[in-house]
Amino acid sequence: MSNLAVLPIIIPLISAVILIFFNQKVKVSRALSKLFSLISLGTSSYITWYVFTNGTIILETGDWLAPYGIILVMDGLAAILVLTTNIIAVACAFYAPNAGLEKRETFYFYPFFFFLITGVSGAFITGDLFNLFVFFEVLLMASYGLIVLGGGKVQLRESLKYLLINLFSSMLFVTAVAFLYAVVGTVNMAQIAQRVQEVEQQGILTTIGILLFFVFATKAALFPLYYWLPKSYIVPNPVISALFGALLTKVGIYSILRVFTLIFVHKTDMTHEMFIWIAGLSMIFGVIGALSTSNIKLIIAYNIIPAIGFIILGIGLLNQDGISGSIYYLINDMIIKSVLFLLVGVIAYVAGTSDLRKMGGLIHYYPFLGWLLFVSALVLAGLPPFSGFIGKLLLLKGAFEQGEIAIVIIGLITSLLILYSVVKIFINGFWGDKETMAELPKKSTKGLLAPVVGLLALSVILGVGAEFFYPHIESIATYLLDPEIYIDSVLKE
Amino acid sequence: MILAVLVPLLIACFIPALSKLKAKIHTGIFVFFVPFIIFLYFVQFVGNDFSPQIEQYSWIPSLGINLDFYLDGLSLLFVLLISGIGSLVVLYSIYYLHKSERLGHFYVYLLMFMSAMLGVVLSDNIFVLYTFWELTSISSFLLIGYWHFKERSRYGALKSMLITVFGGLSMLGGFILLYVVTGTTSIQEMISQVDVILDSNYLPLILGFILLGAFTKSAQFPFHIWLPDAMEAPTPVSAYLHSATMVKAGIFLIARFSPIFSSYEWFFLIVSIVGIITLCWGSYMSVRQTDLKAILAFSTISQLGMIMAMLGFGTTIAVFAAVFHILNHATFKGSLFMIAGIVDHETGTRDIRKLGGLATFMPITATLAIFATFSMAGVPLPFLNGFYSKELFFDAGIQLDNSGFWSQAIPYLAVLGSIFTFVYSMYLFFGTFTGKKHLEQLPKKPHEAPFGMLVSPIILVLGVILIGLLPNMANAPFLQHAAEAINGDTEFYKVKFWHGWDSPAFRMSLVVVTLGIILFVTRKRWQAVYQVLPGKASFNKVYDAIVANMDSVSRSVTNFYMTGSLKTYMSLILGTTLVVSFFVMFVSNGFTVSTDQLADISFIEIAVVLIMIIAAIGTIYMNHNVAAVLVLGVVGFGVAILFVIYRAPDIALTQLVIETVSVALFLLCFYHLPKLRKSTDSAKTKTMNAIISIGFGALITMVAISAHSSRWFESISDYFVENSYKLGGGDNIVNVILVDMRGLDTLFEIAVLGIAALAIFGLIKNKKNKEAE
Repeated sequence: MSNLAVLPIIIPLISAVILIFFNQKVKVSRALSKLFSLISLGTSSYITWYVFTNGTIILETGDWLAPYGIILVMDGLAAILVLTTNIIAVACAFYAPNAGLEKRETFYFYPFFFFLITGVSGAFITGDLFNLFVFFEVLLMASYGLIVLGGGKVQLRESLKYLLINLFSSMLFVTAVAFLYAVVGTVNMAQIAQRVQEVEQQGILTTIGILLFFVFATKAALFPLYYWLPKSYIVPNPVISALFGALLTKVGIYSILRVFTLIFVHKTDMTHEMFIWIAGLSMIFGVIGALSTSNIKLIIAYNIIPAIGFIILGIGLLNQDGISGSIYYLINDMIIKSVLFLLVGVIAYVAGTSDLRKMGGLIHYYPFLGWLLFVSALVLAGLPPFSGFIGKLLLLKGAFEQGEIAIVIIGLITSLLILYSVVKIFINGFWGDKETMAELPKKSTKGLLAPVVGLLALSVILGVGAEFFYPHIESIATYLLDPEIYIDSVLKE
Repeated sequence: MILAVLVPLLIACFIPALSKLKAKIHTGIFVFFVPFIIFLYFVQFVGNDFSPQIEQYSWIPSLGINLDFYLDGLSLLFVLLISGIGSLVVLYSIYYLHKSERLGHFYVYLLMFMSAMLGVVLSDNIFVLYTFWELTSISSFLLIGYWHFKERSRYGALKSMLITVFGGLSMLGGFILLYVVTGTTSIQEMISQVDVILDSNYLPLILGFILLGAFTKSAQFPFHIWLPDAMEAPTPVSAYLHSATMVKAGIFLIARFSPIFSSYEWFFLIVSIVGIITLCWGSYMSVRQTDLKAILAFSTISQLGMIMAMLGFGTTIAVFAAVFHILNHATFKGSLFMIAGIVDHETGTRDIRKLGGLATFMPITATLAIFATFSMAGVPLPFLNGFYSKELFFDAGIQLDNSGFWSQAIPYLAVLGSIFTFVYSMYLFFGTFTGKKHLEQLPKKPHEAPFGMLVSPIILVLGVILIGLLPNMANAPFLQHAAEAINGDTEFYKVKFWHGWDSPAFRMSLVVVTLGIILFVTRKRWQAVYQVLPGKASFNKVYDAIVANMDSVSRSVTNFYMTGSLKTYMSLILGTTLVVSFFVMFVSNGFTVSTDQLADISFIEIAVVLIMIIAAIGTIYMNHNVAAVLVLGVVGFGVAILFVIYRAPDIALTQLVIETVSVALFLLCFYHLPKLRKSTDSAKTKTMNAIISIGFGALITMVAISAHSSRWFESISDYFVENSYKLGGGDNIVNVILVDMRGLDTLFEIAVLGIAALAIFGLIKNKKNKEAE
């Protein structure tokens, strides 16, 4: 059954390749995309079930034994993230045909879309540091393809910044991997972990760890490395923004989670304590950014940053509650960010502008859309009983256990401001006089809201039904906090 | 109990459907039965032999979040208030809200609130309590914004939400700390662990967090500013949420946690001082208002302060008085809000300057108002419940331990606050119902309200009188249980009307009435005092400034670094990486140099590297595109030569091809690109850039040297060398690695190239498309 581990990578890859051939046939492309994304979702659901009943799946690709070949490690964390990715993929595949992509659909939108899923899933599954780099390249290249898709001048200008900064961080990534290889003589993550532990992460190792951290932090958009994110995320079509917001930064934060719970865990006073600082600064500056604008898309884009701050907080704490909280928050944020990007996409579409100052009274025409946004704002701010609350509760509890009072206070205030930044859209955009936007042509939101409702329902279930999910998350956290389990399962010692 | 809490929410789901029938049946009629049945259900618990009940359901047990409902005297008092006043308010709203309003929305929010509020007072689990607490804030937000086409409504809704959610989050912080300290999420279990909490280092923090939650919700000074703006809500909502129930949630919270904190001195100090200041400030400000509902809002603030202060005192009599006053306040203030609503409804204005002499038009309303206002003023008459609780309050103030400054000051402040309470009560009644008539200023011709609208205030005023006549009626079966839940005292307290001439509390009441009358009569003469205090200062301005500045400051902060310039971004990214990495390398003693494993360096290597360095530096100084690319090409070819020297001909070849192709491509592109402009950066920026780039180069070099000097392990490459022929069947080890050992990498690198090709193809196609259009 170990071949299961490769399916979430191969299925979207094959889908992408098939879709290249149907590029001009939009209807076929759409139908196939929906079908493929469902197949991929079904497979990853089964895999998740399998992993939680039978334990981690290890695949030694090409039968080259660990640590020499590339090892795929489908453990609980990878499985659950792959599953979430595929859920979002399905929602986006169903949203895309109505997203107003028009001709852009024939510029290889669907192949890029599946390549992106390939890269993201691969990054979650791989147990090899260099292979992680390769999957980063796959997802980045696909994202370059998507971000320039049918773009005008502004889009191309923002894309260029996105591309150059990511290119630089990729370069640094390979360099850091090379340094690490020079010291420990391997790129297999389990073996790296084992060897770093053997020498107690002495000497230059911590510095190399920090370099890797900066590589991932740039992709994850942590303070102070997120400059490239906000503007470049809002220029493409909403469905692409949703994919980016939900998946790309999350791969970065996942890599930090993996590397700094498995490998560099022996000098936490230097690394993990710094993460807590960065968490606080990301929250503050991120939410300040969200408050600074009246562009609704930009409000959501900036909100990515404080969320990443919350997730890194748990990694910095490195205790049971912190890690569980990070994972819970990560999954919650993947879902709610795609919801919000898709929603503001619809709002901007029906209002004919993304400028909040030009909106008002939309609730008279689009009540359902308004309430979806309102509930999403509550989820995003982490109010109970939604999924954001569970993650935040765990994170704050973990922080208190560690005596980190300041970060809790920052976290609480940030939550309030996050709520404010999004409720602002509701108050100024939806509330108000019926006349404000009376002249606007009424547009159909057919097919756009169903995927959003599905995702939002999921995040409600993740909150209300936390009893069903949390024990699994908790077991993943326990597993992550004991690197030996990972090392032993890969190296089979 | 769980049913009682969740039924309003469930019914709320059907309201949108029911509201379709509103042309025939007012939606409120369906809704009325919900609180009414809940009220009937809970009334059965009232009795001398009541004992606390508990009901538990699992929800998220692994996080300690469970639906544990605990009904003791305190919750019972609140539950009856919520359902009782709730029934009356819904009844009233049927006549108040016209069928043309969006009734469905209104009742959904109202039912949501009802569930939330019942949940707050019945939950024993802190996190469930918090959940319901935030739900009250949200439903209050929606209700205040009910008429959201009005700018003021939106302002008030946002303000109330920001302040109460802020408090809620702070309370959450306190709850999590309590959970961490005690290891339990049940309030009752926490109470049994008082010692653990009192010994904890976190005690001040816990108290601060929880008090912030309570003070914001109960509109205590200086967080009271949201309540007057919340008056934009329809009047039934003001009567219900912003007077009788939701604003008392903070009071409830303090009462609920009293058993834990009462022996902590700061609890007494903060709660009583904040309470008493709120009492004085609220009543003082109330006299200044001109809108009936604004007067009532400040009055509510002040009364809440009084209850808060009594809970702070924590003595037997104070706690009893607090509980007693919670009930009394709900009766007279609830009816006053409804009366204000009636006046508004029948005259079209709530501006007291335009009103006057309404008693002749609305005799019933005026009669009701006289009872309610006089009760609120604490006029010593044996049929007004407000008087009893006011006098108990004075008693409690005097009986405080007279050691500290504040303990001595409290009775005086209590009297001061009560004098203004008296003044605004008189002002409210006489200003509206007696005096000159200004019929020409009224938008509508005033007349008595329909009977249905009067039913609810009549019932409440009957409550005022009944409690006034039989003040001890509710004690044993009801109020005593509530007080017991707060301070554990089972002693039965007897309320008396007459304490004798020499009773200090009575004398204080006399002072209040005398000075109150004088101030009321002469109020026009001392109005000028408001020019001095508060003058132009106002906490609203602080709030407005914070909100306005939040926008502008966040904008300038963000625009400061989000310049849109790639150069700035890169230097910030590189700079940060540089500083932090150097710092870590320094602290962790990371830099090591070892000369053990170095190969000999030949002259030719040195020469090649030197050329490369010069070429790399030279690139920066080239002013012409083509020149820059050619010089850069030198670096690339240098690398290729190095590969040759290290006997890797295949890589050298690859490098040569890449280099040639890219130089050629560059040259081709430059044909279409604008000429390089001379850099216009200032010398300072240039220096900074130089430092960052040289620093970054140094960093990478140092890490590389250290990494090379720390080869502690055998590389896995030995395995590849051994097995490339044996297992891989290939002589060329690079080939075997690429296509077999690490075939997966190669597969996806090919994919990357494919994607890049598609992306470029898409771009070109896009351009063609645009041109075609």
